[in-house]
Amino acid sequence: MTVRSAPPHSTTSAEEAIVFVVDDDASVRQALSNLFRSVGLQVETFGSAHEFLQSTLPNAPSCLILDIRLPRLSGLDFQAELAKADIRIPIIFMTGHGDIPMTVRAMKAGAVDFLTKPFRDQDMLDAVTAAIERDRNNRDEAKAHSDLQALFAALTPRERQVMKLVTAGLMNKQIAAEIGLAEITVKIHRSHIMRKMGAKSLPDLVRMAELLAIGPTSGRPQT
Amino acid sequence: MMRYPTMSLSRSAEQWLLGGMTLALATTACIWLVLAPAPTAPAYFVAIALLVASLAASLILMRRVGSSQRRMEAVLQGRTKAEERAIEALRNSEAQWKEVFEHNPVMYFMVDAAGTVLSVNTFGAAQLGYSVDELLGQSVLRVFPANECKAAQGNVAVCLNNIGRTHSWEICKVRKDGSTLWVRENAKAVRLLDGQPIVLVACEDITERKQAENALRQSEMYLAEAQRLSHTGSFGWCASSDELIWSEETFRIFGFDKAPSIKRATVIQRIHPDDRARVLRTTKRALSDWKDFEHGYRLLMPDGSVKHVHVRAHAVKDRSSGIDFVGAVSDVTVRKRAEAELHEAQMNLAHVTRVTALGELAASIAHEVNQPLAAVVTNAAACQRWLDRTPPDLTEARGSLQAIIKDGNWAGDVIQRVRALANKNSEQRAPLDINEVLNEVVSLVQHELFRYRILLRLELPPALPLVLGDRIQLQQVVINLVINGIEAMASVADRPRELIIRTGLDDAGQIVVTVKDCGTGLAAENAERLFDAFYTTKSGGMGMGLSICRSIVAAHGGRLSALQNSGAGATFQFTLPLHVEGSPP
Repeated sequence: MTVRSAPPHSTTSAEEAIVFVVDDDASVRQALSNLFRSVGLQVETFGSAHEFLQSTLPNAPSCLILDIRLPRLSGLDFQAELAKADIRIPIIFMTGHGDIPMTVRAMKAGAVDFLTKPFRDQDMLDAVTAAIERDRNNRDEAKAHSDLQALFAALTPRERQVMKLVTAGLMNKQIAAEIGLAEITVKIHRSHIMRKMGAKSLPDLVRMAELLAIGPTSGRPQT
Repeated sequence: MMRYPTMSLSRSAEQWLLGGMTLALATTACIWLVLAPAPTAPAYFVAIALLVASLAASLILMRRVGSSQRRMEAVLQGRTKAEERAIEALRNSEAQWKEVFEHNPVMYFMVDAAGTVLSVNTFGAAQLGYSVDELLGQSVLRVFPANECKAAQGNVAVCLNNIGRTHSWEICKVRKDGSTLWVRENAKAVRLLDGQPIVLVACEDITERKQAENALRQSEMYLAEAQRLSHTGSFGWCASSDELIWSEETFRIFGFDKAPSIKRATVIQRIHPDDRARVLRTTKRALSDWKDFEHGYRLLMPDGSVKHVHVRAHAVKDRSSGIDFVGAVSDVTVRKRAEAELHEAQMNLAHVTRVTALGELAASIAHEVNQPLAAVVTNAAACQRWLDRTPPDLTEARGSLQAIIKDGNWAGDVIQRVRALANKNSEQRAPLDINEVLNEVVSLVQHELFRYRILLRLELPPALPLVLGDRIQLQQVVINLVINGIEAMASVADRPRELIIRTGLDDAGQIVVTVKDCGTGLAAENAERLFDAFYTTKSGGMGMGLSICRSIVAAHGGRLSALQNSGAGATFQFTLPLHVEGSPP
């Protein structure tokens, strides 16, 4: 699965993970903040979804802990709102008893975990660690993806054309015939492409092409 | 006068006698003169002179005798006239007394020792429907009904045993036509000249008085009976002597023996000690203001039982009677007891509905307890981690513990609040901040608000005056109104579901609590019946909620009302009188 993670507010590139807590209950906010601080995690708390949306989010691996019952904008609505705004942050829901239907909806909408209040501290920390790890991966992937795109963009139009055909599995000769070039010219383009894209081998380049969603066979749009 | 004709113009016998004697003497002298030897001239002249003198003397004497006789006659005549006048007057008097005796509106009887009527006046006989002759010689018992004969005989006997003394009594008599009349008889036995004792009886008709007396007695009896049945006695209060004049029922209520009057100080001792000062205050004020008063208090009876009385008194404007206040005192013990029982039944019902409402709110309450509990557990875990550090971070650990204490107390408060609502506690009135009361229950309905996606708007202006009320009961009212509002909005999809709880002061200076929803509103035909017991528009409702809310608010001296909003939904609001400093709770 390819996830495009591009927080709109990202300004810095701090690497320290941060936990966001949104709960209307001040005691719960304080308690969670205390817990995360005790294990050395950075934490920021918000009384409402609105407050969270108003703030500037740092460019760091993070996760969101959300009470499923929020006044005005409920946790589920908030989740949908974030998705609409293309903010792809892993969400851990906190639920009360008897909120199973809502939990199911939350999970279907892409929540990474849910915990029932009162929860065990280790469960919460595990969930948060996993979510942050996931976000970090997402971010790495996204970074790699964007780097790849930059490299691809740096290719000449001819090279891009050749790369599509190479990664589609065509032989040099076939490519030369296809675009009306000498086979030797195709070879030169090919070596340029390998160097510019930083590909170590042909399978590597094929993987990159897949990530970039180029080529006639791998044009499946990613969500 | 006509029988003694006057003789004044004729000559009396004495005059005739004197005249005759003079004439005889003159005749003798004439005879002597004629027949006798002629006298000497002087003797003749003497004789003539004597004759003339005797004639003259006889004439004078005749006149004298006549006049003295006339005087005598006049005297005699005058005496006769006086006698006649006296006789006349006597006759008149007798007739008059006869008239008086016969027609004086008093019945006179004269009976002998055997009870035979010797005399009766016409009036007396007529009153009984008889003529005098019909009664004379008859037994007097004839005019008495059979059941009174013995008494009549006894009365006569008493008189005869005490001759010369007057006795009086009231007795019933029977007329000739059989109708009865009441009389008062004054009787006295006297001895006649021949030594026979007789009884003189004068009697007057008192039937009317007797009837009035009977009517009065009956009316008094009705009054007494009505007082007894209604447990209401009457009283008069004479402030100058500080005495009370009571009706029989009042004596019964206060548990004193009947007496013409009773000292107020004695009565005050019977008033329940807790109420005594208040009663004295009220009466003192009434006396100084000279105004009608009304109050209720308790009596502590000698057997230890307690009675509730209610007194209303009217200030008498005309003080000539010596009474300053007249009033009524009602024994309201039974009513009070019934009221207390009703109140208790209502309280029980209120409790049941409260517990039912709490059942509906169970999820909300669980959530409300769960929040601080989650915070406690999380803080405790964090605390452990702060302590496990090397070196342990004691400042953070301490901070965690403080948070635990705070959250633990909060959870405890919630449970306390719920328990108070669930408890069947007795009513406790205290000065309350209505906003505080509202805030406490609002947290309990959070879950319901969330479940139905309802936005709650609280408009609670600070620094409202306090109300005197029972916290739990008022919270029950608010919970009920809020749940109703929430349910009324459950089906609303085309507009934001907003519930407004507002407090404030109305024009009359009372606290007003308003719960406004934008739900389905009130159907006009239901609005009237909303507060009826067992009336419900909900499939699962008992129909007691609003009915109990209304009685709770009414018991607080306020009023619960419902009205349809000009827009969508309905508004329920209730008023509560302010707590007055110093008033008894």
